[in-house]
Amino acid sequence: MPEFIAKPASLKELWKQLPSLPASRRYLAGGTDLVTADNAGAETSECWVDIGDLPELNGVRETSSAVFIGSAVKVSELERSAPVRKWCPVLLAAVPHFASPSLRNMATLGGNAANASPCADGVCALVAEDACVSLALGGKRRRLPLKDLFSGPKRTALKKDELILGFEVPKRPHTGAYLKLGPRARFGISKAAVALAAELSGRRLTRAAVALGSVAPVPLYAARTSEWLAGRTLSAETAAAAASLVMSEVSPITDARSEAAYRREMCGVLLSRALESLAA
Amino acid sequence: MEKLSYVGKSLPRKDAEIKATGAAQYAADREFSGMLHAAAVRSPRPRIKILSISDAKARKVPGYVTLVTHKDIKGVNKWPVVMQDYPFLPEGEARFAGETVALVVAGTARAARKAASLVEIKYRELPSVDDPLKALEKGAVKIYGKDNVISSFVIKKGSVDGAFAKAAFTVEGEFSTNYQVHAYLETQGSIAVPEAGGGMTVHSSTQCPFYVLDAVAAALGLPYHKVKVLQTVTGGGFGGKEDVPALVASHAALCAAKTGRPVKLIYGRKEDFQSMSKRHPGWARVAYAADRNGKITACRVKYVLDGGAYSTLSPIVLWRGTVHAAGPYKIPNVDIETFAAATNKVPAGAFRGFGQPQICFAQESLIDELAGKAGLDPVQFRLKNLLNPGDRTVTSQRLKSSCGLSELVQAVRKRSGWDKKAGSPRVRGDIASGIGFSAAYYGVGLGAKGRYLDRAGAYVNVYKDSSVNVNVGNAEMGQGALTVLAQIAAETLNAPYESVRVEEVDSSKVPDSGPTVASRTTLMSGNAIIEAATPIRERVFRTAYSMLTGMGADASEKMIAAGGVFSMGGKSVPFKAVVAECWSRRLKMAEQGWYAAPRTTFRMRDGQGDAYVIYSYSADAAEVEVDLKTGVTRVKKIWAAYDVGKIVNPRLALGQAQGGILQGMSWALYENLVYKNGIMVNPNFTDYVIATTADKPEYDITFIEKPYAEGPYRAKGMGEVPLIGVAPAVANAIKNACGARVKSVPLLPEKVWKELKKG
Repeated sequence: MPEFIAKPASLKELWKQLPSLPASRRYLAGGTDLVTADNAGAETSECWVDIGDLPELNGVRETSSAVFIGSAVKVSELERSAPVRKWCPVLLAAVPHFASPSLRNMATLGGNAANASPCADGVCALVAEDACVSLALGGKRRRLPLKDLFSGPKRTALKKDELILGFEVPKRPHTGAYLKLGPRARFGISKAAVALAAELSGRRLTRAAVALGSVAPVPLYAARTSEWLAGRTLSAETAAAAASLVMSEVSPITDARSEAAYRREMCGVLLSRALESLAA
Repeated sequence: MEKLSYVGKSLPRKDAEIKATGAAQYAADREFSGMLHAAAVRSPRPRIKILSISDAKARKVPGYVTLVTHKDIKGVNKWPVVMQDYPFLPEGEARFAGETVALVVAGTARAARKAASLVEIKYRELPSVDDPLKALEKGAVKIYGKDNVISSFVIKKGSVDGAFAKAAFTVEGEFSTNYQVHAYLETQGSIAVPEAGGGMTVHSSTQCPFYVLDAVAAALGLPYHKVKVLQTVTGGGFGGKEDVPALVASHAALCAAKTGRPVKLIYGRKEDFQSMSKRHPGWARVAYAADRNGKITACRVKYVLDGGAYSTLSPIVLWRGTVHAAGPYKIPNVDIETFAAATNKVPAGAFRGFGQPQICFAQESLIDELAGKAGLDPVQFRLKNLLNPGDRTVTSQRLKSSCGLSELVQAVRKRSGWDKKAGSPRVRGDIASGIGFSAAYYGVGLGAKGRYLDRAGAYVNVYKDSSVNVNVGNAEMGQGALTVLAQIAAETLNAPYESVRVEEVDSSKVPDSGPTVASRTTLMSGNAIIEAATPIRERVFRTAYSMLTGMGADASEKMIAAGGVFSMGGKSVPFKAVVAECWSRRLKMAEQGWYAAPRTTFRMRDGQGDAYVIYSYSADAAEVEVDLKTGVTRVKKIWAAYDVGKIVNPRLALGQAQGGILQGMSWALYENLVYKNGIMVNPNFTDYVIATTADKPEYDITFIEKPYAEGPYRAKGMGEVPLIGVAPAVANAIKNACGARVKSVPLLPEKVWKELKKG
């Protein structure tokens, strides 16, 4: 842990303080990744900037076209949020798969995105939800599709000191599923995870978005599979064809957590089960 | 049997309140005036020649005090564990990544860790070995002796080749198991406090305070009476606090001796993973032969354990595995050869089951295969071959009456609905259900290989206010020793349970009682308490009798002593009053007790003779669901039955059983410590996962209490028994469900999936 943790009271104060802080600094929100890295000796910043209580990053708000989820909202708050329950079925389905109840009380979606791990359950779900991410650096704001935030494992398009304000999920009636294979029933890093958002007209998929965790260098939006699914009718054949397509879209690796060939096939199994769950 | 007041009752744990409220003082919670903090400097590579160690950069850290290396060792630089090949601190060569090379002492723990990270080790890398089977090959790099063999045993009986030649059915298979990490909540830790006059008091989180005493005295070159070891409340052990706490405590003591101030050394989780003991990875080739009636005629085993860089407890772990390697069956012809091989990895040591679970997984998986070949149901096949009272084990030991194995198997068979389920595994959608079985036996205590350590002392002191203090040499580490031993003391004295306190071990109050391992504490310390308490009991009972007759009780009736009260002929007197009277009569109210295990006759030459004094037994049935697409196994229910003699505390026994089953299931399915090129890849709970409550199966646990006449109130030993048979029961259930025979633990989904793909 660094010698110094700064805790500005507002965004304005943050931008004012930053230039005076040690150059080697990182944002601290829930701390569930940062403190773990620190315990493992992998975190060496001289200063952490605690943004967890910044009012601008907290709360879930509804606008006319989107749900805005503040980046410092705790994951456990999502389950209790009426707009999330109404408009974000994939994210809601991912929450029980996100770490453990005690970690969900600490962890934030902003941290989940900033950490840029390909296995991030919250991010994977939000990518399927077609979320955009709002960023701020000093007075400058910008907005990106969330899937474009990631450039590799632990690498993002974030500039130095750029802050994630929150996520916008468009308000479109849809359904969805989040299926994950981890090392045990709950509370584990996925070997493969599939997030599926779908707009249905009867049994016809008018729109689909598939995102996958832990099977590519980034939380992966499966563009080809998503596109192929649009307009299809839910059936065993559709599920099987989508499964084989998604297997060609992922690029999993073999590591201490699982094996490439297994992960690839599981993407197909999970997607076809996700589609079947919509049909049911 | 006499009516018992305390033994056999689910009395509350003595340590429940302090643990539940957070009041318990673990090693890290203790503070001393002027205390410094130590941190270890560790070897970065599997095998290095140390050229120099420099603290030039570390010195700049504010609060830095000193560097401690092997040059600061006043005693002998050999940790006195079984074979004495492990230096307290290496002089020329470090043999595994994570080995402590030096220690840094500083004013705060944070400064010590920072400074330790800045100590520079200059080294040359040496050729290393990471695979135990390759280590045993002729051309292997020699890292241990002339053949990399730490230890080796045999059991030879009859003519195995002949039996295989004549057999109607034979099976052979190779099996392997991975490490298991103890995952105790409290990491290793110790505080050493220098005493005026050159002594050292050591506070240690340990299950073996006398191993700590041996080591600290050796490292400091002190006579034993100048070293005092106080066991702190110990947050889990499972074998992981058998040998290695002695190393941690010695390191703290070396730092304290050099600085003259108390020094605290508390391990972080990562270094605990990297450097503390583990369950040995195991490899085995097992073969069985049976005649046409399904009677096992022969067993051949080659069993190899990956000992790691130093021998530590490998010889004893291997020996227990050797004795039990053929399973709990009558087998006339046996050829068992076992080896502990050295590798440049963390030294493996004790873990609940102690060398048995690895080989039990292999042989119980293969017993199912043999039953299949013989055309018999796995339970029927086992019943034909199980050891019963009067039968001889593979070491030709004749089993006495306390052997309920067949009854256990029948109980589990009936309770699990085995006969209906086993023949008809079900498939619903992608989910296949199946059931699997295993049987095991377990030699209680240290047995022939550890016979010189198999004794225990106790000190029982009844104060004049009638409160009772008991000191023993075996440790509470979560298993319930303080409670069970208090029940035994209360029962023997007829003292109210609430008035009895058993203390954490103080090495100066009781003689060396050996380690708290091998499910021996209830048996050994229990018997020592009974020996100490019996003369006091006689005085108390005589005094009570005379008080009652003095009160006019009808002496033609028998005096009844129950629940802390003595009564006779309508009169009664409480323990408290009797003790006060004993004191006023100046009777001796404190006594020492001692218990030494009976003799064993095992011969190392051919592995024949009595290996252990007594055995406990288990039978398990596991019901699983296997996802045929993902290979994921979920254990739905475990039925288990145990014969561990008399149960002293049913609730604690149930807890031991459930914990053992879950820990066994976790090892069987999930726990996967990964090494790559001699470096541990996942020394953390992010990637080394253990079962959680969400994975917990339903339990159905039965105790069949076969009394053991030598045991305290006829108890045997229980702690390790529930873990041993779980993995093969689960593996056999997977096979039953979906046909996949996975031969390596953990039974990962990837492995099941691959077997299913083979079709």
